[in-house]
Amino acid sequence: MLKMHNVRKSFRTDTIETHALRDFSLEVKEGEFVSVTGPSGSGKTTFLNIAGLLETPTGGQYLLDGEDVSNLNDRQRSRLRNEKIGFIFQGFNLIPDLSLFDNIDVPLRYRGFSAKERRKRIEKVLEQVGLSARAKHLPAQLSGGQQQRIAIARALAGEPRFLLADEPTGNLDSLMARQVMELLEFINEWGTTIVMVTHDPELARRAHRNIQIVDGQVCDLRPVTEQPEAATA
Amino acid sequence: MLELKPMLSALWRNKVPALLIALQLALTLAIISNTVVIVKDRIAKIERPTGIAVEEIIAINVMAIPNNYDMIGAVSSDLELLRKLPFVKDATITNQVPLSRSGSAGTFYTQPNQEVGGEVSNRYNTDPNFINTLGLKLVAGRNFTNAEMQYFDPSEIRDINVAVITQQFADKIYPDQDPIGKPLYDGNTSHPIEIIGVIERHLGAWVDWSKAGNVAFFPIVRNTQDVNYLVRAEPGKRDDVLKTLVDKLSERDPQRVIKTRVLSEYVARSYAGDNLMVKVLSIVAATLSFIVALGIVGLTIFWINQRAKQIGVRRALGASRSNISRYFLIENSLIAVTGIALGSAAALIVNQYMVRDYSQPVLTLLPLLICALLVLVVSLAAALAPALRAANISPATATRSV
Repeated sequence: MLKMHNVRKSFRTDTIETHALRDFSLEVKEGEFVSVTGPSGSGKTTFLNIAGLLETPTGGQYLLDGEDVSNLNDRQRSRLRNEKIGFIFQGFNLIPDLSLFDNIDVPLRYRGFSAKERRKRIEKVLEQVGLSARAKHLPAQLSGGQQQRIAIARALAGEPRFLLADEPTGNLDSLMARQVMELLEFINEWGTTIVMVTHDPELARRAHRNIQIVDGQVCDLRPVTEQPEAATA
Repeated sequence: MLELKPMLSALWRNKVPALLIALQLALTLAIISNTVVIVKDRIAKIERPTGIAVEEIIAINVMAIPNNYDMIGAVSSDLELLRKLPFVKDATITNQVPLSRSGSAGTFYTQPNQEVGGEVSNRYNTDPNFINTLGLKLVAGRNFTNAEMQYFDPSEIRDINVAVITQQFADKIYPDQDPIGKPLYDGNTSHPIEIIGVIERHLGAWVDWSKAGNVAFFPIVRNTQDVNYLVRAEPGKRDDVLKTLVDKLSERDPQRVIKTRVLSEYVARSYAGDNLMVKVLSIVAATLSFIVALGIVGLTIFWINQRAKQIGVRRALGASRSNISRYFLIENSLIAVTGIALGSAAALIVNQYMVRDYSQPVLTLLPLLICALLVLVVSLAAALAPALRAANISPATATRSV
């Protein structure tokens, strides 16, 4: 599903060049649920941005669903993001002025679906996340957990094959976090590939595989069950 | 793809700044559209034909120094001299200079001793050369003859027998009739003045007068202390002629004070107020448009900065750069259209008031539509640069925590 080979990303100012990712190689197979952990500033978000086509790599090769996406133009990247990738952000990133229905509608409009098709999909995902009755509400009228469920619904509405989650439970209490995690596991069971960046080792262990990023490089690719923390848990 | 419904609902939730801009646009449209009709009206007034060869004519005022000066005798000699000067087409005598804001008028009737229902007209005392000198066009009847000229002292009262009038005056006093041969009565008198000729157009003395264009000419020269001559030069030779006039007239008779001024200068002075009005209102309209544009730029930049994260999220969810810039342009258009709708209503209401109380021109649909289009273009142009800037916000903004 996702294959990165020697991907590099550096940021340059007038005086300093920072290497966020260095010879970063990783493969995530279709249907996998991969957690990504690492200390702050290790390059997790940069990896997520490149994986989600939000940023372009400085070098290396990135194949998404078999297609080399390293050198696509902005329009092609926008289309791929819209069609193949779903995003779940730490801060939910719902648009505060739009109702929940209209928030979920945003990526579907960019996709060019008809109004009927969009309504069908929105109603379906609202039901999946258990918030059908709140469709006309504004994000501010919901709890954090409910907002994250709407954000997940927005990510799922386009039926992406690849879901990128950036600290999806970072702003939630433990009960809400567990509910969101269960929802993600449920989505994964239905075949969606998930890559989740998290600081929470407990959540990381619930993935099929945990990747640790240190200093912009992958330093541990073992399945979760073989990793020391999992063994002692 | 349009997102009108969510866009309107988002605007509704941020209605105060949007409404302020819409009101600013409305006010601008109301002011600019009324300004435009006033400017258009003034320009039409300035550009309306005078019927006179303004650029070729020099006005001369001759004032005799001695008290008992024989002006009538001098007039014949002066005109003979003037007409013989190089590059002079013709010369005439007149009691007042046309288009100079100085003249005389009287009320004329179609029946003897009539007291009501007359028509006011500007009046000139002149000679048969006035048509050629002023470049007027005789459209019916005939000009005066030298035999019809009357020379007399101001204290004398003599009946005038013939008149040439403008087409406009003819249409007013004898509507739908051939005026030639018909009588005019000067005030409530019983002596008929026969209309012998009609000239196409002559604006008269006062460009601001509601009856400008009502003019009657009479073959009279009064023996006054001062006279006015009009001299028409050949095209392009006016200034050459002007240089020699005073010397030649003084040479012929040094007992007079002679002043000259080109007719175009009189015209410029007559329209100075209108020209100033056109300039001031144009500057006001342009400044107002500029201020509104600045307001829109400011608001759009403010909104974009405020919504940078949201734009990043939209980009992350699949919006292309053009989707983002289009979003802001459409949003701006919605505000502009609201402002234009309010402004059109305000413009028409303000105009009704101005027509009723200040006799200003009526605002018709076409200038209102043109101004509305102008306001929309200004609004879109002002929003364009910020909208393009918004499109450059990186989709990675969505994953930034600050």
